[in-house]
Amino acid sequence: MAFQTKLAELIIRLKWLIIIIVVALSLFFGYGLRYITINPDIISSLPDGDQVAHLYKQIGNEFGGNDMGIIVLETDDVFTSEVLEGIRQITDSIQFTQGISYVTSMTNIMNITSSEWGIEIGKLVDEYDLPSEQKELDELRDYAMSKEMYKGTIISDDGKATAIMFTLQPEGDKQSVAREIKTKIEEMKLPWKLYFGGLPLMMNDVNDLILNDIIWLIPVVFIFIAGVLILSFQSLRGLLMPLLAAGIAILWTIGIMAYIGYELTIVTNITPVVLVAVGSAYAIHVVNSINNSKTGDKKKTIVKALTYIIVPVILASSTTIVGFISFVFGSYLLMIRDFGVFSALGTAIALLLSIFFVPALIAAFGKEQKIKSTTKKESKNTLIDRLLMPLVHFVFNHPVRTLSIWGGVLIICIWGIFQIKTSINIVDYFKKNNPTRITENIMQEKFGGTMPIFLVFEGDIQEPEILKMMMKTETYMKTDPNITIAQSVADLIEQMNDAMGEGLAIPDEKEKIEQLWFLLDGQEIMEQLVNDDLSKGIIQAKFASIDSDEMETFIKKMEVFINENQSDNYIMSITGMPSIYVRLNESLIKSQYTSLLIAIAMVVLIVGSILKSLKKGVITAIPVVTTVIILLGFMGITGITLDIATVLVASIVMGIGIDYSIHIMTGFNNFIIAGEGVDSAIEKVLFFSGKAVVINVLSVSSGFIVLLFSQLVPLQNFGLLIAVSMIGSGLGALTILPAILILANRKKNSINNK
Amino acid sequence: MKKVFRISILGLILLLVGDISLSAQSAADIVKKMDQVVYSPKNMKGKNKIILIDKNGKEEVREAIVNQLGNNKRLMRFTAPASQAGISVLSLPNDVMYLYLPAYGKERRIASSAKNQNFAGTDFCYDDMESVQFSDKYNSKMLSTEKDVFIIELTPKAKSDYSKLIIHINKEHYYNELIQYFDKAGNKFKEAHYHFTKVGNYWSASEIVMTDLKKNHTTKMQMYDVQYDTNLTDDDFTVRKLVE
Repeated sequence: MAFQTKLAELIIRLKWLIIIIVVALSLFFGYGLRYITINPDIISSLPDGDQVAHLYKQIGNEFGGNDMGIIVLETDDVFTSEVLEGIRQITDSIQFTQGISYVTSMTNIMNITSSEWGIEIGKLVDEYDLPSEQKELDELRDYAMSKEMYKGTIISDDGKATAIMFTLQPEGDKQSVAREIKTKIEEMKLPWKLYFGGLPLMMNDVNDLILNDIIWLIPVVFIFIAGVLILSFQSLRGLLMPLLAAGIAILWTIGIMAYIGYELTIVTNITPVVLVAVGSAYAIHVVNSINNSKTGDKKKTIVKALTYIIVPVILASSTTIVGFISFVFGSYLLMIRDFGVFSALGTAIALLLSIFFVPALIAAFGKEQKIKSTTKKESKNTLIDRLLMPLVHFVFNHPVRTLSIWGGVLIICIWGIFQIKTSINIVDYFKKNNPTRITENIMQEKFGGTMPIFLVFEGDIQEPEILKMMMKTETYMKTDPNITIAQSVADLIEQMNDAMGEGLAIPDEKEKIEQLWFLLDGQEIMEQLVNDDLSKGIIQAKFASIDSDEMETFIKKMEVFINENQSDNYIMSITGMPSIYVRLNESLIKSQYTSLLIAIAMVVLIVGSILKSLKKGVITAIPVVTTVIILLGFMGITGITLDIATVLVASIVMGIGIDYSIHIMTGFNNFIIAGEGVDSAIEKVLFFSGKAVVINVLSVSSGFIVLLFSQLVPLQNFGLLIAVSMIGSGLGALTILPAILILANRKKNSINNK
Repeated sequence: MKKVFRISILGLILLLVGDISLSAQSAADIVKKMDQVVYSPKNMKGKNKIILIDKNGKEEVREAIVNQLGNNKRLMRFTAPASQAGISVLSLPNDVMYLYLPAYGKERRIASSAKNQNFAGTDFCYDDMESVQFSDKYNSKMLSTEKDVFIIELTPKAKSDYSKLIIHINKEHYYNELIQYFDKAGNKFKEAHYHFTKVGNYWSASEIVMTDLKKNHTTKMQMYDVQYDTNLTDDDFTVRKLVE
């Protein structure tokens, strides 16, 4: 105890220094906020060591980019001279935007035709002489709709919509290029309905939603927590201290992120929300302890309170930190790892502020509320006490029934765990009625989606064997209902061979292929299909569905196909967004279990070592492990999917939820040491620490419940799940733990009595 | 004082306008003169070496024998690399072009409706390969006169992929030394350096280095063993000759 007391006295002595340091650092980090940027790109969060991701990035670098944007123009009939002129303008505008590799639209798409008199390698329409006569337009319609290369690819089956597709250069700021294009085209004020889709544009929308969330949600979270604090403490101190600690912790954390060059991502933008909830908790305990330790002398009160609360608060925060740190080892996505690192950092900052800054502030400005020291009994009549009373009675009277109820719930939830579904697709981030999601649905319906797939062939691309295999692969891919478009250089070679009068097939002689190549060489499309030294060629395809199961089925099927058709002359591999999503999906489940197990093990070890008993460590962990099982079961039963945000919940709950049990366990230990009997120790701890636990549960859950108003679906679910889990682990700490302690004690007594 | 000032402004404007009209006149003349030098009717035999250099500096070499009659009949027969040896292209007036692929043993007439497409992997598009005189295709405007060259801006008379060209014409001999190509957004995206040597009575482009600045890809076209005033006739530029 001597150490805690000495520290407490030191804090009071250095109160002004502490306050000045905190204010100075806050100014410094606050200034850093201006440098913070948002990166909504999930691909950039894939580790470089991942094979699928590596191949995907490599394809991007070698073939002029893998990020595709699609603009859909919808009207009554695309085959009119006005619409064609509009498409030409859009195409031109994209073409001359810095950072664009290729644009493909009706007005610049390649066309190979052959007739008795010869071959024409040209364009579908002449952009300098667009068809304007009705006869020309009708001919164009008849021709375009008869060719698989156009129908369903760039012109919808009903001829009422057309797609303008573009590829963004792999280097450079794709988001800002996408934004520039969207702005430029919107400024044209074209009279048709335009939809903007594809990953880069979607990322921009995610970006805006993240920004929107930060601006609107964090203040709301503060207001909610403030409400809970006012109701609970009914004092200015109880309101201000926790909010101040949390606010400063957020400021410092984001400031540090900005200064060392980290970006806010779809996951790390949860950090501030998490910190409001978590960061306020330690200050709540400190303030609660000071309120409960009235001695009549301000200084003595603070010393007494700190001496009591420092250990449990450090313990509570270290488990929370461990919960966050578990993501560093358990996660696959860099953004989840970053979330772990910075949330842990923020939690540590909140802890330091609660121990040093909050008492220093109270010492400097606070007044000792003398009257209240005699109103301990009165305080039992607050709202929270009225909530606690029946609970305590029930647990005392029916410890076995209490545990049985939990047991029943657990069984249902364990079944629920097996029903959990995962979802990783970015489209799922958006609510059903979000324009981005609507756009994506249109893209899927009319143009086979926006998700690129690349089948990569390594070998001599001019070999007939490879080209034939490419055609075979394309045909096989198209048997999947989600693949409508697939194209490669093999298609062009077939068409050229046909034009030379030898039918729509890959010629058997390499010489023929080499000579056909002479004409294809330098066509813009070639750069997208083969690399410079012709050692690599790709089939470009698009996957229409965003359903994880369908993606997985397709990828599995393709992997089998690839294995069966490998040859000594080439290597075939697959990459693309579906492959990445499937990889993410697998990693999500693995992440979930790895980080959860790490969190459980670390938490049990920490608690066990502080309580100097592994058994007590395990017992303390029971309520929160129960909660985690209930959480996962709840997800399975309600159909809330495991995604990049909800995957975080279990470990966070582990880290935060354990705090409640820690407070109960350490309080219980303190009362036992003070000579109380087990029953009376339990009763006292339930009222003494129970109140802080309830306040904490309410403030944390109300903080997270605000996320229900987020524009991003994963964040909504994240908020709901954390709130539910907080209530669960709070209840667990207040019921399971005492019930176990009561039962253990009765058993011990009955053995002693025998 | 004010009046004097106004008059001098007026004088300056007149001077400028006068100068512009004067140089417009001479710019057109200069371009016409260049056309006469560069497109002087030729009856030519020669060898062509095409070096393609990609952004990594990797080179690919093609060689061809070129026969040309006047400005609009040309037969190119590739001799290297081996995979393309024998491929022949016959260009006739009015965009008529025939291709012979020896592996198929057949000829096909080929056409490209899109003049802005690059020809067979080079940085020259079909438009650049056309033998239409600059003075017919472009309006010209003098930009400046340097020590050795006239710098003239050419703007297309018809719709084109180019918004303008800036051409440097040798003051003494009237051949073009440099052409810069600007896209529709007004950015320079291609650049061709010319090297002319005198063969007999004619100035011959012994090397053209065309660079696509966006793709960072370069094509060097070198002419050698050039002979003029040979015995080529129209009979040497027929489909039958192409297949032989």
